[in-house]
Amino acid sequence: MILVTANDVPGRQVVEVCGLVRGNTVRGRHIGRDIGAALKNLVGGEIDDYTKLLAESREQSIDRMIDEARALGANAIVSVRFSTSHIATGAAEFLAYGTAVKLA
Amino acid sequence: MTSDPMPTPQELRAMAYADGELSDEETREFEREMLDDPALAREVAQLRRLEVLSRQVAGPEPMDAEWKVLAEDPWQSGGTSVAYGALLVGTVGLGICMVVGILVAETTPLVKLLLLLVIGGFTLLLVLTIRARLRTLPFDPYTKVQR
Repeated sequence: MILVTANDVPGRQVVEVCGLVRGNTVRGRHIGRDIGAALKNLVGGEIDDYTKLLAESREQSIDRMIDEARALGANAIVSVRFSTSHIATGAAEFLAYGTAVKLA
Repeated sequence: MTSDPMPTPQELRAMAYADGELSDEETREFEREMLDDPALAREVAQLRRLEVLSRQVAGPEPMDAEWKVLAEDPWQSGGTSVAYGALLVGTVGLGICMVVGILVAETTPLVKLLLLLVIGGFTLLLVLTIRARLRTLPFDPYTKVQR
């Protein structure tokens, strides 16, 4: 599955637009990591617990978006975008969306 | 020199399923098989974990070596374990003191029963949530993703 943030794939022609596809997830780290992250917030620097949290969310959202595109028979997703929302303390929604297409 | 054994037909089907290469009918049939065979489900989860990790193409950063040294430092890792252990023991201890306080408090038995029901309900929910997480953890392919 080809994923691009551009509106098209250079050198390949879109023969069919399959539709909007998206994948999202809301993940959290366990309370021990949340306590550690709150303390790291006091001293500054990268809060690697939350970096990992968003990385896990990103990969799961991408996989769900790809699954949806496969179900529509697409072989590529263009105009891929990401969005995040704060849901609760220590939990964020990660949304990946794009346009599923069939490339020649 | 020995080479890895050839994958079995079942392993090939698991790889095809993880890559989304099976037809709709084959996918449905394979998913029915996974429901009856937990070992098969675990194998697919492991393949998905490898696929997710293979997308992490960026090389390690210089700071990663420092994080590794810090994680292996006995004072840091031991101190963190002691701190979390103290928090856990303190929380459980406070919970027990709360229950004992409710039992000896001068209040109606009904209020005591209701308070104990609330505490017992939350404790049971916590235990079941931890149990559910431990059971589904092996099938979560994203826990190894770092950044």
